[in-house]
Amino acid sequence: MSITPDSGELPLARDLPAGRPLSLKVIGVGGAGANIVRRLHAENLPGLALAVVDTDQAVLTAADLPDRTLLGAALTRGLGAGGDPALGREAATAEPEKISALVKDCDLVFLVGGMGGGTGAGVTPVLAEAATRAGALVLAFVTLPFSFERGRVAAAEESLRTLRTGCDAVLPLPNDILLQAAAEHENARHAFARADEWIGRAVKSVWAMLSRPGLIPLDLAKLQQAFATRGGRTLFGLGQGAGSTAVADAVASLRLCPLLQSPEFARKADRLLVSILGGPGLTLQDVRTLMDAVAEQFGRDPLVIPGAAMDDAMGDRVEIVVLGTCELGGRRQTPRRASARDRAAAAAGAPEPAPAEAAQNEFAFGTETESRGYFDKTDRNLFEGQDLDIPTYQRKGIKLVL
Amino acid sequence: MISRNRYVGAVEIGTSKVVALIGQYSRGRSLSLIGLGECPSRGVIKGAVVDYKAASECVHHALEQAERGAGVRLDEVYLAQSGGHLEGFQNEEGVNVSAADSMVSAPDIETVCHLAKTRHLPDGRMVVHHLRRPFRLDGRLLPDPEHHSGRRLEVGYWTVHGQENLIADHIHVIRGYNVRVTELILSSLASGALLTTPDDRRAGALVLDLGAGTTDYVLYREGCAFLTGVLPVGGLHLTNDLSLGLRLNNQDQAEKLKLRHGRGVVATKDRAEKVWLNGDLSVGDRQFPRQTIEQITAARTREIFEVVRQKLGAGFDPERTAAGVILTGGASKLPGLDEAAAQVFGLPVRLGEPPDWVGDDLRAPGFSTALGLLCYGFAAPSDPPPPGRRRSGTGLLGKMFSSLFGFLL
Repeated sequence: MSITPDSGELPLARDLPAGRPLSLKVIGVGGAGANIVRRLHAENLPGLALAVVDTDQAVLTAADLPDRTLLGAALTRGLGAGGDPALGREAATAEPEKISALVKDCDLVFLVGGMGGGTGAGVTPVLAEAATRAGALVLAFVTLPFSFERGRVAAAEESLRTLRTGCDAVLPLPNDILLQAAAEHENARHAFARADEWIGRAVKSVWAMLSRPGLIPLDLAKLQQAFATRGGRTLFGLGQGAGSTAVADAVASLRLCPLLQSPEFARKADRLLVSILGGPGLTLQDVRTLMDAVAEQFGRDPLVIPGAAMDDAMGDRVEIVVLGTCELGGRRQTPRRASARDRAAAAAGAPEPAPAEAAQNEFAFGTETESRGYFDKTDRNLFEGQDLDIPTYQRKGIKLVL
Repeated sequence: MISRNRYVGAVEIGTSKVVALIGQYSRGRSLSLIGLGECPSRGVIKGAVVDYKAASECVHHALEQAERGAGVRLDEVYLAQSGGHLEGFQNEEGVNVSAADSMVSAPDIETVCHLAKTRHLPDGRMVVHHLRRPFRLDGRLLPDPEHHSGRRLEVGYWTVHGQENLIADHIHVIRGYNVRVTELILSSLASGALLTTPDDRRAGALVLDLGAGTTDYVLYREGCAFLTGVLPVGGLHLTNDLSLGLRLNNQDQAEKLKLRHGRGVVATKDRAEKVWLNGDLSVGDRQFPRQTIEQITAARTREIFEVVRQKLGAGFDPERTAAGVILTGGASKLPGLDEAAAQVFGLPVRLGEPPDWVGDDLRAPGFSTALGLLCYGFAAPSDPPPPGRRRSGTGLLGKMFSSLFGFLL
């Protein structure tokens, strides 16, 4: 960690001590997380630390990584959480030292996992809180169970809510989208592999922005700016192209990205991180074309934070990833960092105050599902991606006093 | 106009109410209203008939009431058409003037009109209106170019089309009462015909009819209806927003609050100011902050205007809309609406004022469309025949047929 707890420095102005490179870490939680981490491991990205956490010894053994952590051995005897988030959570809270060792000295932590399983749903929020406490920027990429997995959906939603309070940004990836995007004859394994790939690419793109030579380099401060308010909705989309028409293809495939099609993502982002990764041939003109296309799609003049990097291995391919956040109704305008005062308190050995945001969140207004009331049974009333039957104040995030 | 008196019926099947009117034209000159039927609407949502039976009952009730009051029986009526399925597009065509002396002839006009109107519609869609814009002869604006000389004659049409089965449902409701539909008229055009003068239309005006289920609008430019549109959002959305925002299970209560305290712009500064739901000291009466009510309604009204402005697109130019914005429709009674509209459109806004011949009982903005049907049906046929050609007068069915044939050929 670049800041010692007692430095009392304003968190957003932290300087990295010279000579120490930025430390990024991907932590795969549970079986789904382990798969994604394995995939990233195969890509061999220098400077990106990888770790796997699970309650299931078998998964850990299969993951061919040096950094493996087994949680809750006493509770589950290494047999997994059995789909019970409560058990997963218990396993994680029982061993705080293992958790804090995992997130120690990280500047940016990616948490990847599935919200459908016990470990993913139970452990990820605990890890997120610990990482935030340690001062890292925390981005969570989680898959949500299929809506036909009825029992799991409610549990996943619940975990997602807790996770949102602990992370700087949570990017949920509903498995349902896999169904939509899957070709008729595609087998399940390929479909799941694609979910892993989507998450893998998002992680990779952020990593590339921070560590590859960039046309428009990105630093941690900018990244923090993109995720300055937590708890809101997030938006996440990918596009790629190759060959002579790479740029145009990337734009087209971004427009078609199934992740951006669901109604949840139809809303506009307030802050948008656009990262473009290309081969040595990437020109500023290309970057501009891509940025224009993104601006057109997301409109409303959000705060756009561009990043463009080059990687020789990309050849003539171009990849574009957009990550955005939307503030919902000014709720949870909590600045993302725990204040220096909290840190001082922590340093003084005072018990860590329970995250106040979590408590507030229970009353947060926007968490209720968007409702159409009287128009519930009528066709959607779509205009430019918004359902006009949903109250305007909800869509615009106007906070109401009752 | 063969007989001295002609009776004309007009029906508007709105989302909140059905209005049937009977007008008497004396010697093709003056118009007097002799029958009125009104019935709260059922089975209509966002301007579209969703429950045929319930809607039929209301319409028949209203027609019966109007006929009884007037003491005449109707053969045919003008029917207002609204609904989110209506869409429009513009198409411009030009021809070179054929005559050697560059004098525009009737066949030239006919050709260019035909060209501009012929455009393939997707399956299941039918044309409701072909609205002709003024002719241009080498760029000169001309209401009737015949016998003028020039080289290139151009004309643009705004074609309004809708979903065939929904339109057919609408017509069948009327036919169930054994009355013919003379012509379908876009609700916005009807309101516009009532509330604008030829001068307004020449200067450019935007008429916004805020109904319960839909917001219908028409933009006039150069004396003609230039653009029309329907947004399936109206007063009921305000009510629904209130009932969700204030957690009222009862839409009637929300409606009451909207009528009493809703505003197009937030005017209350004091966050603590509260209003009572019923105000009668009864059990279950609750208080709500006035500002919250205004926030909810203002957000929605502003959005309605913004969406309309967006839908008008480049066709809307404040410079060319000198007569400003004219508001009408039941929801236009909301105070502060004009202010919100002025902010969005950047134009002077007024509430539509019906002409003097309209009696006191019908001056409410909710009657604009039905009254407009009587005016429109009489004064300005939707597709003014190109000068030099007589109208075939086949009525709606013929029109349905001809448009159908148009696709087939």
